Order: sequence, then C-alpha cells, then structure tokens
Amino acid sequence: MNSFERFRNRLKGLPVDRVPNFDIFMQFAAHFIHAQLRDYYLNYRVLVDANLAVIEAFAIDIAQAISDPYREAHDLGLKVEFPQDALPLATEPLLKDPSDLNKLKLARPEDGRRMNDRLEAIRLFRERVGGQVPIMGWVEGALAEAADLRGVSTLMMDIFERPDFVADLLEFCCEQEVLFAKAQMEAGADIIGLGDAVASQISAEWYQQYALPYEQRIFDAVHKAGGTARLHICGNTTHLLEGMAASGADIVDLDWMVDFRHAAEIYEPNGPALCGNFDPVAVMLQGTPQQVEEAVRRCIADGGPRCFSAAGCEIPDGTPHENLHTQMRALAL
Amino acid sequence: MNEWVEKLALCVERGKVNRDAPWPPDMKGQDGADELAAAALQSGCSPDEVLQGCILGMDRIGKKFSENKAFVPELLMSAKAMTAAMNHLKPYFQSGEVKRKGTFVIGTVAGDLHDIGKNLVAMVAEGGGFEVIDLGTDVSAEKFLKAVDEHPGCVVGISALLTTTMVNMEKVIRTIKEKHPETPIIIGGAPVTQAFADKIGADGYSPDPQGAVEFLNKKVA
Repeated sequence: MNSFERFRNRLKGLPVDRVPNFDIFMQFAAHFIHAQLRDYYLNYRVLVDANLAVIEAFAIDIAQAISDPYREAHDLGLKVEFPQDALPLATEPLLKDPSDLNKLKLARPEDGRRMNDRLEAIRLFRERVGGQVPIMGWVEGALAEAADLRGVSTLMMDIFERPDFVADLLEFCCEQEVLFAKAQMEAGADIIGLGDAVASQISAEWYQQYALPYEQRIFDAVHKAGGTARLHICGNTTHLLEGMAASGADIVDLDWMVDFRHAAEIYEPNGPALCGNFDPVAVMLQGTPQQVEEAVRRCIADGGPRCFSAAGCEIPDGTPHENLHTQMRALAL
Repeated sequence: MNEWVEKLALCVERGKVNRDAPWPPDMKGQDGADELAAAALQSGCSPDEVLQGCILGMDRIGKKFSENKAFVPELLMSAKAMTAAMNHLKPYFQSGEVKRKGTFVIGTVAGDLHDIGKNLVAMVAEGGGFEVIDLGTDVSAEKFLKAVDEHPGCVVGISALLTTTMVNMEKVIRTIKEKHPETPIIIGGAPVTQAFADKIGADGYSPDPQGAVEFLNKKVA
C-alpha cells in the first residue's frame, strides 16, 4: 500500500496497513537537508527536495507545498523580507488605510512570483511522486489573508468599527484564495490545505460570520476541481468544532489543546476525518521517545477509525529524529 | 461600590469607548469610558476610584478571556475603552496623586516579531493598575537588562510565539538574574509551558494575560 492508497482508504474508513502520517514540516524540512530558510521559501526545488527527504526518512504520507503565510500577500504587494536563515518578516501592513483596498487588484497565481513558485513545487511533486504520495497545496483562509494584509489587531478592531470594509476585504481575499486554490489543483495538487489560524482567536459567533462562509466557498472550489479539503486552525478551537465541521473540509486538523476524543464524538461517523493532535513542543520537541509513543497511540485510539496522525501544528525545528522515528513505529497497526 | 466605578467598569468590560462608538450595539448612543471618566472626575470622584473602575472592568474581561468566554477582539476593545478612561488620569499619574501598583517591563524575545500576545498581556497589566514599559518585539537580553536597571523593583515579562525563539528566553533570564537576582520574571507564549519555565529558571508562567496579572499582584503584595 503506498501513501496515496493509504490516504484514500483512511479517508473512507477502509482498511489501511498503518495510520497515515500527516505531520506538517517547514523549517525542520529545510534544515534536514541543510538548506537555508530563505532558499526554502523562495526556491521550489529546495522545498520539494526537503519534503521528499523527510518523507523518505520518517515515512511521511504527504508531500506538502506549505511554507509560510505570505505567498498571496507578497504577490499582492506586501513587503516581505527573507533573512538568510530565519522566518520571513513583514513589518508594515499593506493596507495601512482602509481606502488602500480600492487600489488592490487580484493577482493571477501564474503571474505572481511566490504563488507561481508554489505551483512549480506542486508540478515537481507530481513529476516525482504523483499517484504515490498525496500532494498538498496550501492557501490562507480569507480571514487569515485579511489579517496578513491589514494586521491582526487592526483587523479585529475593524470588525467592530468598520464592518462594511471588513466585508469588502474578506470578499477580495476569498476571491484571491479561490483563484490560488484552483491554480494549485490544475498544477496537480490532490489536497488543498487552508490555514485560518486567526480564527482560533475569535468567538464561535464571529467564526460563523467572518471565517466559515469563506472557508466554505474556497473548499467548494477545491471539491469542484476534484480535490480533498484540509482545514488547519492552530490554537484552541474547542469552541469552533461544530462550525469547522460545516466548512466542507474532508480533514480537520486539531491542535493539541483540543480534546481529540470529544472532537471524534462530534465528527464520527459522517463528519470530517480528524488529524492530530499531540503537542508539537512538549511531546515532539522536548519529550522522550516513550512520551511520543504514548501520545501518538493515544491520539489514534481517541481520533476514530478515519483519523490521521500529526502533531497539533508544525513539527518544530530541532525535533530529535528519534522522536519522529518513534512516531513512525507507533503508527503501525 | 461607588456608582461611577461600576458604570466605568461596565464600559471597560463591554468595550464601550465613547458615545460615538458603534460597539457594543446595545449601548449605542450611551456615554462610554471616555465621557464617564471625565464626568466622574468632575463630579468629585477621586482619580483612584476612576482607576478602580478600569481595574475592575479589565479584571472581568480578563477572567472571561481565561475561561474562553471572551476572545482577542473583545479584549482589544476593552483595552481601547480602558485607555480612553486612563487618558484622563495622566495628570494624576504624573503628579503622583495616583500611584501604580508597580512596574512591569515586557517584551517579545530576540528573533521574534510577534506582538499580539505580548500586547494583550501589556494591556491587561496596565488595566490591572501597573505601569507598563513595553520594549516591543525582537528585544535583546541587553535591552531587557537596561530596562531593569532603569526601573528598580520592576517585574519582567518575556513573550515568544515560536519554538525557535523561545530558547532565547533563557539568555534573557540569565542576564537579568546575574545582576538583579531578586527581579521576578514571568514568561508566556503559545509554545511555552510550565515545565519549560522551570527548566530555564523563570519565576512564573501563564498561559493567559489574567494569570500574568495574578503573578504581578503576588509579587508586589
């Protein structure tokens, strides 16, 4: 059974030889092949090489083109700096004034420097492992993208003080993300992940109004293009579980603060499959192999018959390789 | 309780900044924290009572935040209302007529540009009656030490959002404690845990702003 078959079967609740490992890698993957982060973010060949190396070393079941949140925002004009071996920096919001939105034009992913780089990554994954390992593209949720363009705190205050502007901004961001998701599907992605991290910081009522409708539209586009939709909201999303199930996601990632068993009770048997959710820091980065084994097994036991294994968020840079090997062994059924 | 204190606390808790503010909808057209603080002082309320209203309001919203009954936007709005009221107290702080409980030096650790968590803690601490010295983001150990030198008796808060930068907190703690071993230091941020705080020698850890204010209150008691 290859990773693609394992992913397909698990999603349908059919037998698998082991639980698929859907850990998210970014910085770790770059450093695993001794690449600098700047190259990982700006050169799709480095990103692909790094992820294929991680797949090979730790039996990961997904080839992922996720890197940082700024691909769309950068192509829309956000100034982003790329230090040699550190995270990208965006210190000035693109939309300093709400009226700046009038000047923004949707960017064609094929024309954008960084969005196109992700399309190239997906094409190269397709060439190397298409049909054997599911290939995952990535977009920002409309709310997350709005926060990237406007600044998180400012956007939150805008919702109170300028609701009409926020509606226009979310509409714009949603259209941009639908374009990007479709382009990644055309490039050969099997799965589109959608990151909406800021959503964990708002109430369930606001989620229904400012995040969910746009997630639904983006996932609708993914499904129409024949793809699988994966929703990733970092942080404690216990209060959003019902709403996230309504997003249309086929797979919902949960961070470590969420009770995985409680979520499975809500989602099984007809809701999205769960993915998660041990602590990436306390367990994966700082824990012993024994703690990793216990946490991984507990998640599999709690997550229901369709769950995927992953840390609650990105595997931290510096994670001991032995801990990833332990996860690999613990996933054998 | 003084009626002004309660009214002001309600405005801060609900995030009602001023009369023109559209939020919250059910308080539309009513006086906000701005007008109430001014009116309270004019009608003979002491500045301490106005401060008490701010503290009470921020305490209530901070507790709701800890219990997942309020979220970041509500906390930000409360902080804005608090600031509107506190602006009327500036002359009294400057003259020394109103005293803060203590000084809280806070910053995001070197290498990390994330500021939301740090800002929320700073706002709730200010609303809790502390003078806040916000050093910003990407703050070096040396800059933290300089701030402690300049504010004897302060408490220090260090924030980090990234697993790659949280490790830099240890150097800050070591640098401060070498010269000022008595300075209490609390750390926080998404990847930080109590175990990590213990390991690097921090005196406290909190997963939320309210816990940080409780730590501050204990340290100045």
